[in-house]
Amino acid sequence: MQRPDWAPETIDIERPSVARMYDYYLGGSHNFAADRAAARAMVEAVPEAPLMAQANRAFLRRAVQFLADSGVRQFLDIGSGIPTVGNVHEIAQRIDPESRVVYVDVDPVAVAHSQEILAGNDRAAVVQEDLRRPEAILRHPEVRKLLDFSQPVAVMIVAVLHFIPDADRPEEILRTLRAALAPGSYLVMSQASDDGRAGTGERAEAERVYRRTDNQLFFRSRAELSALFAGFELVDPGVVWVPQWRPDTPEQAENAAQAVFMGGVGRLGG
Amino acid sequence: MGDDGPTATTCSRPGAFARAWAKAVSGTSYLPMTQAQLEALLQRLTERLALALRTDPFDLRIGQQVGAELVQAHIASAEGLGRTIEVIQLRLVRDLDLAVDDVEDRMARLLATVATGYARALRDRTLDEQEAIRRAAMMARAQAERALRESEARFRHQATHDPLTDLPNRTLFTERLTTAITAPGRGADRIGVCFLDLDRFKVVNDSLGHQVGDSLLVSVARRLRRALGEHLVARLGGDEFVILVERTGCTEDVVKVAEAALAAVSEPALVDGHELTVSASVGIVERQVAGTSPMELMRAADSTLHWAKAAGGARWSIFDADRNRRELARYALSAAIPTALDRGEFYLDYQPLTGLRDGRVVGMEALVRWRHPELGVLRPDSFIPLAEETGLIVRLGSWVLAEACREAGTWAAGAAEAPFVSVNLAVRQLHRPGLVQEVQGVLGRTGLPAERLQLEITESTMMSTVAEPVRALRVLADLGVRVAIDDFGTGYCNLAYLRDLPVSELKVAGEFVAGLRAPADDPGSRTDERILASLVSLAHALGLTVTAEGVETADQADRLRAIGCDAGQGWHFGRPGPAVPHLGRSPALTDTAS
Repeated sequence: MQRPDWAPETIDIERPSVARMYDYYLGGSHNFAADRAAARAMVEAVPEAPLMAQANRAFLRRAVQFLADSGVRQFLDIGSGIPTVGNVHEIAQRIDPESRVVYVDVDPVAVAHSQEILAGNDRAAVVQEDLRRPEAILRHPEVRKLLDFSQPVAVMIVAVLHFIPDADRPEEILRTLRAALAPGSYLVMSQASDDGRAGTGERAEAERVYRRTDNQLFFRSRAELSALFAGFELVDPGVVWVPQWRPDTPEQAENAAQAVFMGGVGRLGG
Repeated sequence: MGDDGPTATTCSRPGAFARAWAKAVSGTSYLPMTQAQLEALLQRLTERLALALRTDPFDLRIGQQVGAELVQAHIASAEGLGRTIEVIQLRLVRDLDLAVDDVEDRMARLLATVATGYARALRDRTLDEQEAIRRAAMMARAQAERALRESEARFRHQATHDPLTDLPNRTLFTERLTTAITAPGRGADRIGVCFLDLDRFKVVNDSLGHQVGDSLLVSVARRLRRALGEHLVARLGGDEFVILVERTGCTEDVVKVAEAALAAVSEPALVDGHELTVSASVGIVERQVAGTSPMELMRAADSTLHWAKAAGGARWSIFDADRNRRELARYALSAAIPTALDRGEFYLDYQPLTGLRDGRVVGMEALVRWRHPELGVLRPDSFIPLAEETGLIVRLGSWVLAEACREAGTWAAGAAEAPFVSVNLAVRQLHRPGLVQEVQGVLGRTGLPAERLQLEITESTMMSTVAEPVRALRVLADLGVRVAIDDFGTGYCNLAYLRDLPVSELKVAGEFVAGLRAPADDPGSRTDERILASLVSLAHALGLTVTAEGVETADQADRLRAIGCDAGQGWHFGRPGPAVPHLGRSPALTDTAS
């Protein structure tokens, strides 16, 4: 599955992209007909899909806010997708303009769009890489240039892990990333989960929709996702449905399981 | 927190209407703000709406701005608009307790302006986003294409360059050379190729290691490129480089390039901490493009390089067509030896070694001949040196030994004391470990007694003689095989080997004997005679016999006999030819001796 470095991928806008489908769920127009068709099919199968995306995006916003309030000034957002509203650098740099953010995505269109958005921001950059090649991410010159790994870094893997099958050894990917981090660093993860919802048929239908894209969907339970935080101390309230993670208001946490995404934030001790 | 965010302006605390509005729109789309920030925003917009309801005359712009601001704050979905209209229509007037004339009319107009502003802003945003994503797709495609081109260029570079020195490799050189020769309109041009090879590079590798050897190559490559900037320098492999000199005027132009290259190579250089000074050899070919081919040029430059090497290195040589032709012919000849052996194209002639006292044929030297199907009968000097160079001498020598022994075995019939057969042994044969077994085997198979075999080795062979061959000769001598030193007195050597070697005969070179043709009172002739006399007395003192080579006249034979020489060989006694007629000249039949 690893392509040689010299073989660039083709840019095929006829093929749905998970990054642009996600943008559509969020009400954006950074998408093409094929993305919208696939996203509509997903909404057919799982009517909550747009809510899921919104809830996940809100989780990201609250998590970045939490991290920035905790003093983190460096962010590595892997699987950042199409930058729309409320990007990590917008939140983090509003709190401290010195905050540094590197976005990583495998989708070349998402990367090109991010480049456009980030033009002129010398404390934020985007890198085209694959979460499945953590060493390549860590040694990437842009990553090395902006992030100082002797200081805490927040690694964000938000709404991405469900595209990584167990066969790609996510635990090893995370071990590699963890090994590069200084104490006081954080890991933010969320992913689609059918915890307690198994057997509704939605899962199979969602998986079927995503087979059209380059990224298949793999659900994980709360226990499985928690296990992937190995080596990190989970911050309260642990791995939960994303609306339940430090909501702004209690109402936001209602019907949390509809959000389909579970997430959490871990801190590297020491 | 967030006071410089999208909900920047501070205003009065959110009232019941703003809170209800916030509740209505939250969840309609992703809102990048907290609930409190949302309520604060909507409180501000609420005040604008109230203003619009009250202002007279009605101002379209206020409602439109509110609609646009909602979209800018990312309350930008169809549901967001629907619920906004609903909540304004139902609650605005009541919650704010507004007293307005024509309230229904004004409310309708207000909702229309909000919806207009909202739809217009949403349409603009959609168009902007569509444009942005299409531009991103185009950029991504352009980047992918550039990456593809770059990777192709990198791939092409890798395929056409030497990874160690980054010089062009043989592929690229051949391409450029081919273009220079075959491109239209180039026929009248002249072109030059220099093959360059470091002298004794192997010594650097063997003594300092391959890493230093590699660094030296990199350093040489850099110097060559610097010195010959305008000309293509390529590395063919190993320590072999090649330079293409296009559009030359004459050979001198290429000689200048070769001299520049040699000068660049011989600059002392610090390589991995070693101060290294190396030299190189260059083979030069320069000719008109018309009528030549890349292959021919490369081959010619390569052979010329070997001439420069053979001449001692640290020099250039220019291609010489005649020399090349001769070498090619020689090469063809040496390549044909194995087949000729298989086809039985070789045969032996014999020349008698005749006793000077009794005229008896004491031995016969076997001389190999090649009955070449096209070139006729070839004498050994036209193919033996080749066979020695290529190592084929071992196979050929074995054949000669076996054939000579076989024939000599047949001479015994009818003669009481049959002559021995004398066979030349090449250096390489002497150095082969299996020599003793081979000789024993041949003697065993042919039934020839060991005493009737003489092996001739040259004086120069003994120069390089080390322990192993001496031991082999001693074993053979112990078996009874005679050992003769051929061409004695012409090589540079010390006589000490006579002490170590089991030699039984010296064959004195023809040069000394030639002097005996002059009248006896000629001073030169007298000197030769004295040298011969002392050689004979030296040999006899050591218990060796002496055979003089090149005896052509009866007078020479007489004078040799007079100084005590044992035997003679030469035209006077018989030219090389089949054995049997010589056998017939034994004194029993033709009593020539007195």
